[in-house]
Amino acid sequence: MTQVQTPTRAPARATAAAGAAPLLRRRRLAGRDPSPLQQLIVYALLCAGAVGMIVPFIWMVSNSLKTDAEARLVPPTLLPTQPLWSNYPEALQMMGFGRALANTVVITFCCVVGQVISSSLVGFGFARFRFRGREAMFLLMLSTMMLPGQVTMIPVFILFRSLGWIDTFWPLIVPAWVASPFFAFMFRQFFAQVPEELIEAARIDGASNWSIYWRMMLPLSSPVIAIVAIYTFMGTWNDFMGPLIYLNSPDHYTLALALNSFNGQYGVQHVNLLMAASVVTALPCIVLFFAAQKYFVESVAMTGMKG
Amino acid sequence: MAKAVRFLLALAAALLVVWSFIDVGARVVRSWRADRRAVTLTILHWGTPEENAIVQRLVDRFEQAHPDIRIEDIHANNYDPKLKTMFAAGTPPDLFYMPSDSLPEFASMNLLMNLSPLIEQEQAAGQAQWLSDFYPMLLDVFRYDGRAVGRGSLYGLPKDFTTMVMYVNLDLFERAGVPVPYEGWTWQEYEAAMRRITALSDPTDRTGPIYGGVIQTYPQMLRQLIWSWGGEFFGGDGADFRDVRLGDPHAQAALDLIYRTRFIDRNVYNITGVGKDPGEMFETGKIGCIGPLGRWVVPRYRSIRSFRWDIVPVPHREGLESPSAIATVAWSISRQTKHPREAYELLKFLCGPEGQVMSTKLGLAIPSLKSVAESDAFLSPGETPANNRLFLDLIPRMRVAQNPPGQQFNRILDEELAQSLRLGLVDNKTAAQRVAGRWLAELDSPLRQREFPRLSWPRVGQISGAVVLVVVMLAAWRLSRQKLGRLGRKEERIGWLFISPWIIGFAALTLGPMVVSLVLAFTQWTAMTPLEEARFVGLANFRHLFREDPTFVQSLKVTVYYVVLAVPLGQAAALAIAMLMAQKVRGIAVFRTVYFIPSIITGVVLATLWLSMFNSDYGLLNYVLRPICELFGARPPDWFGRDGQIWAVPALVIMSLWGVGGGMIIYLAALKGVPASLYEAARMDGAGRWRQFLNVTLPMISPLVFFNLVMGIIGSFQVFTQAYVMTSGGPGNATLFYVLNLYRQAFEFHHMGYASAMAWVLFVILVALTALVVRSSRRWVYYEGLKA
Repeated sequence: MTQVQTPTRAPARATAAAGAAPLLRRRRLAGRDPSPLQQLIVYALLCAGAVGMIVPFIWMVSNSLKTDAEARLVPPTLLPTQPLWSNYPEALQMMGFGRALANTVVITFCCVVGQVISSSLVGFGFARFRFRGREAMFLLMLSTMMLPGQVTMIPVFILFRSLGWIDTFWPLIVPAWVASPFFAFMFRQFFAQVPEELIEAARIDGASNWSIYWRMMLPLSSPVIAIVAIYTFMGTWNDFMGPLIYLNSPDHYTLALALNSFNGQYGVQHVNLLMAASVVTALPCIVLFFAAQKYFVESVAMTGMKG
Repeated sequence: MAKAVRFLLALAAALLVVWSFIDVGARVVRSWRADRRAVTLTILHWGTPEENAIVQRLVDRFEQAHPDIRIEDIHANNYDPKLKTMFAAGTPPDLFYMPSDSLPEFASMNLLMNLSPLIEQEQAAGQAQWLSDFYPMLLDVFRYDGRAVGRGSLYGLPKDFTTMVMYVNLDLFERAGVPVPYEGWTWQEYEAAMRRITALSDPTDRTGPIYGGVIQTYPQMLRQLIWSWGGEFFGGDGADFRDVRLGDPHAQAALDLIYRTRFIDRNVYNITGVGKDPGEMFETGKIGCIGPLGRWVVPRYRSIRSFRWDIVPVPHREGLESPSAIATVAWSISRQTKHPREAYELLKFLCGPEGQVMSTKLGLAIPSLKSVAESDAFLSPGETPANNRLFLDLIPRMRVAQNPPGQQFNRILDEELAQSLRLGLVDNKTAAQRVAGRWLAELDSPLRQREFPRLSWPRVGQISGAVVLVVVMLAAWRLSRQKLGRLGRKEERIGWLFISPWIIGFAALTLGPMVVSLVLAFTQWTAMTPLEEARFVGLANFRHLFREDPTFVQSLKVTVYYVVLAVPLGQAAALAIAMLMAQKVRGIAVFRTVYFIPSIITGVVLATLWLSMFNSDYGLLNYVLRPICELFGARPPDWFGRDGQIWAVPALVIMSLWGVGGGMIIYLAALKGVPASLYEAARMDGAGRWRQFLNVTLPMISPLVFFNLVMGIIGSFQVFTQAYVMTSGGPGNATLFYVLNLYRQAFEFHHMGYASAMAWVLFVILVALTALVVRSSRRWVYYEGLKA
């Protein structure tokens, strides 16, 4: 059921063109493989951009290996004169890394799972069912995205407090299980593009709505799932305001909160340690992308979205 | 190979998740088993890890001595919002840090426990000798009688304090042949010294010029400077807040000196806004004299090895002995504490000699107990600064500063004086007039002047219940006119079932809170007091917003400026990079990663990083731009400084473009999804690359463009963190984004009702804009298979 038959989506003109195979072949070669000159231009552009992208990052890593004094030097040195690896264990020890890591992983895991399930359910409902009030509801959902978070912050806080959830993970996890409008919108956009014939075929095969969702739509939507998962992951991993408000005891701190302990009353006291801790905190996100990027990009081509 | 690596990574991730759940679970179980002692006190404070360790050690000692008391120790470096949210939630900490300038605000809202009765009891019992060890003036700073600081009930015990001095680079003074003014100096002598030190500059030095000095001009220090000239912020000994005295000759003389040395003589370095820590500037050895500053920089400066330094008094007007400002923080007790006795015991212990000796070794401040301050623990002979004694010598000259409750005056002062002292756009007379004008308008606003009736929440409940009922019935009536078949009804039920997670979330986490905030938009409420205290003001909030608040228009302008730049540029850049990535060239995976990684970095780290990048002196960006600009006879912009009115927002746009990788990935996925056959067909018809892009690529990815556009507009209108962390709105309100302004109203000024009104105005603007985009999208967005 995962491998859905590729539907014909290309306009009729493409099929008509199939007759002129030799011509097409030549054209395709010319079109698909860029000439050396074009390659050069593409490389040059990409490299120029890449330098701009990577330099601040190198700067961050390099600062994490400097002494505090060298990190504040004018004019700055691009690389540390003597890499100070001991910054890392010192920074991790200072921020209580292990405990904060466990807390962050638990919260993030629950949020990712909840967000994918709830948002895809809602997106599917909006995309594939006709019901009275759908348009109004959809517009309502869209409009809630525009509500500045600050508006509801205090009332929501009062709500969670009355539930006795202060200094627990619930206020951070539960909102992820009721579908964020952003991601539900994303799923809806995706599901709306799935050809109707696919669903009709499944219905004729006797599939229930739930199994259409669970067995067909979810596997189909793996690129969206990947995007939603990664965005939720990064959003939760780096969230600062939520943990700040709801978590009190250091035993419950997340990485983002622990990171802030480098910010003293009189500004950042140890820039190098802050940078080291930041690199470690950002590392899981980077590794995640490295590991997932292939799937991330190619999954689109695997899933019946190909022409 | 790659597969094996990915398998290992997945395994590691799975193990990490399992370990985390076990670790957290074990801690939960342990906390269930933990003994529930009779009394639990919560304390809230901020600090460096070293300071927190000291508080932790004190807490442990106290718990040992009082086994029946358990203390929950919370430290938060984002202190102000944390404290205020805890108050707003009705769960304030029992003890917490109280900076002296916040005292009128907290005391006037009746949030603090009055310590005077407890102390009188102790005195009557002859047990209050410990009190006489405090410097009396420091206790006065925490007395408040409802109008002014310095008399009345006591609301906190100072944990430490500092007087204000100037830090001097002895080597530069020596090279310039200026005697070190240990016995004090006049402002004339100061200016002469600045001139001579600045003259040491070597134009060929690539590390930049030498400056005579840096003058600190944030409100607290500005007051110190004006005092040293014999002026004041307000009349009536500084406590008549309707009588702004910035236009008086003495105050003007102080301001003019700053203006003159910064913009005309250029002997004093103008720290324009953000990204430049003046403390750091001094550490580089390029600054002759920096101040006024307190003791808190001493630990940092002790690590200076490249030059000798010391402290001297703040300069004064000829023939005047300059008073010293006090910066001090107290431990205060919340009035709502359930255990006042125990809290009072803890308070005395936290401010007692034991803790003060420990924190004195850190060196950030002067102990508030005479016995500790006069001991070697503080005087630390043999250590820098050699003139350490000066901090104590200034104590007889300390003066209590008066602050109107709330932070609004300081905010206005900072904003308007930035126009003259930082940017040099207006003269000091005008700036002073504007401060007075805006402040008086604020005081005279009906919101402050009139007494409004309390809001009746039961009535609100009835009305909103009735409204919801009517809306639901209307909707039901309208819907019931559309007839459905049996199948249709089944589909409808299932549809609603599928979207029910959102419906539940919407009702509980959005609609309910929205109703509350909508109601609040018509009230005056401080968020620190219970909801029942909210007062109904009708449309006064909106009237004030549209008619009397210049920051509303300014913040709207800034935000629109940002949106107009950031949204199109961000989308175009993301799409362009994705198009390049979609080419079949080797090594694309590397590029993909490189472009994506930056979008992972967020929050405080992002801000810290880019502040150093944008620094106009030694920032990497201007280092690269300078030679390019010089080709055209220009200089690179001083992003958040003098050119801030124009360049501050573009700087934030550039920063946002660094995170373009997120959008790029989405577009990349979309581009891969465009059927190759469509391009082939287009090529058959003779379409070139540009036509293919216009007629195939764009229509096929238009749903995503639409999605990104909507989200981009919404996101950009809500920009907050960057401005909050990096610029806090400056310079001169050039980055006062709408949500930052809103946040400030809500959490700095406590105008929760006003902030709710602002939020609703923003909401309406966004809904209107999105409706416009959605409407237009019917013409340019192409969907396949969407059920109409």
